[in-house]
Amino acid sequence: MTSSTHPFEREEVMAYLDGELSANRAVSIAAHLRECAECAALAEQMRDVSVQLSNWSVEPAPAGLTKNLEAARAEHPVAKVRTPQRFTDRLGGKFPFLRNRWVWGIASAAALVILLLGVRLQTVQREPRHSEGLELAYTEQSNSASAPESKAVEAFGQPMARPAPLALPAARGASPKSTSTSADGQSTPEPRAPMIARTASVSLTVKDFATLEASVKAIAQRHNGYIASLSSASPQDAARTLTATLRIPSAQLEATIAELKQLGRVEQESQSGEEVTKEFTDRAARMKNARATEETLLDVLRNHTGQVKDILATEQEIARVRGDIEQMEADQRSLQTRVDFATVELSVQEEYKASLQGAPTATATRLHNAAVDGYRAAVDSVIGVGVWALQALPTILLWVVALFAPARWIWKRLRRTAVPHS
Amino acid sequence: MTSDEQLILELQQGSDAAFTELFLRYRERVYGFFRRRMNDAAQAEELAQETFLAVLRAAQRYEPRATFRAYLFGIAFNILAAYRRKSVLYPTQSDGVPHEVSDPSETNPENAIWVRQAVGRLEAADREVLLLREFEELSYEEIAEMLRAPVNTVRSRLFRARMALREILATTPGNLGGRK
Repeated sequence: MTSSTHPFEREEVMAYLDGELSANRAVSIAAHLRECAECAALAEQMRDVSVQLSNWSVEPAPAGLTKNLEAARAEHPVAKVRTPQRFTDRLGGKFPFLRNRWVWGIASAAALVILLLGVRLQTVQREPRHSEGLELAYTEQSNSASAPESKAVEAFGQPMARPAPLALPAARGASPKSTSTSADGQSTPEPRAPMIARTASVSLTVKDFATLEASVKAIAQRHNGYIASLSSASPQDAARTLTATLRIPSAQLEATIAELKQLGRVEQESQSGEEVTKEFTDRAARMKNARATEETLLDVLRNHTGQVKDILATEQEIARVRGDIEQMEADQRSLQTRVDFATVELSVQEEYKASLQGAPTATATRLHNAAVDGYRAAVDSVIGVGVWALQALPTILLWVVALFAPARWIWKRLRRTAVPHS
Repeated sequence: MTSDEQLILELQQGSDAAFTELFLRYRERVYGFFRRRMNDAAQAEELAQETFLAVLRAAQRYEPRATFRAYLFGIAFNILAAYRRKSVLYPTQSDGVPHEVSDPSETNPENAIWVRQAVGRLEAADREVLLLREFEELSYEEIAEMLRAPVNTVRSRLFRARMALREILATTPGNLGGRK
């Protein structure tokens, strides 16, 4: 049967018999069935199938069904039927659109997108901060280059206490500045050329470690410098090392480094300079002002004829200004020393040759060490898992919450579509 | 006579009599629903009981937009689906179209056997649509909603099932009645 010979599909004849067609369509088909023997036969076959199916009756429901249900109902009386509604149902009562699964699905997807965008934005915002951090680190690094110098100065006290005091005048002569003399005879240096505090770092590997220390000292002396600190280590079954901080007149720095490099193979070398002219000039100006203030106060004290308490107040003020001046002078000398004397960080390692010397470690000790190491590893792993859990759990929970609704929806859908074909 | 829908609304208000009336009206049909889909009569009885208890528990969720019949057999269908899922994990012999004569009171027992066997030979999806239409008397739309399939698909399956059943019954030698 085709639509070219019949105005209706065969399925429509069936739908007509099932009462599933609209009134107009049903009237048309009824008329057609009266005229078309083929369609009437099909309708008859359909009715026949239904009649035959009606022969398939089942036995009456067992009496036990009623009895059991009565018993079960006793446990669930109608009055207590009002089971707590689901969260979505409760919400659906107020907002009917929330009953739609699509609304929840779309809301979950939107939440996911917002979450992802949030994460992305945070990452983007973090990047500039990261570069700021790098700049900060760089600044700290450049500052730290001067730190050993100040420590060395602090360790050795004022420049007068240095082990090579004779070198100071020569070095000062070499520094790019002039010295003027104030009224009270104290020097107030006023730099004309830029003042640079120079720092160098040299790492060497040497074959002959025995004469190294003497060589380093000789080089420092030869260039009118001194050794601010020196330490060496001779560990068992490992290469010997020597680290030293040398203070060398700035003018001699290049020559000193050249000589140091001849001691062995150069592993690493670096130089840096810090401009301190502004700091020096600022402090010099403040010192000048403080001295003028001190002079004025001294004049007041000399010509004063007033009460004792005023005299005492003036003396206290003079003491305070004097203290400031001395502090600034000390800082200025320290800065001057950093400019006059460049710092050389020397790090030397012996070329290590493994030897079979030395008694092997006792078995018991080795076992003990292994046990200790094992215990530490176990504790570290437990702590590591704990740390990981604390770090990752909030994220995992967040994702579980975000993905729960869509996953549940997909699971339910899959299950439902599978059932009719089972 | 009070309609089914009116009764379930009364049940929502806590009427015990309304539930009793609904149970009496649908006891046989719900039992038949399960009995036609499984061999085990005891299991069918248990699932029928479970269905009515579910109606009792979930009466609050009933919405008047659906007929009570569709609502009731929707619950029965879900319970059957859950049971079948369980059967996949713990297989038993109780599932499937019954193939034994279990009812001596049938008016035309021989015919019933052939019909039952013929239905058993249909494709599962087609068979389900046919049973829901012929015995549960659900509309195409209600069946479509229950099976989560388009109405046209339901109609096609139903047509295919009826035609196939007609063929099977026509070629069945023991078919004593029905042929015209």
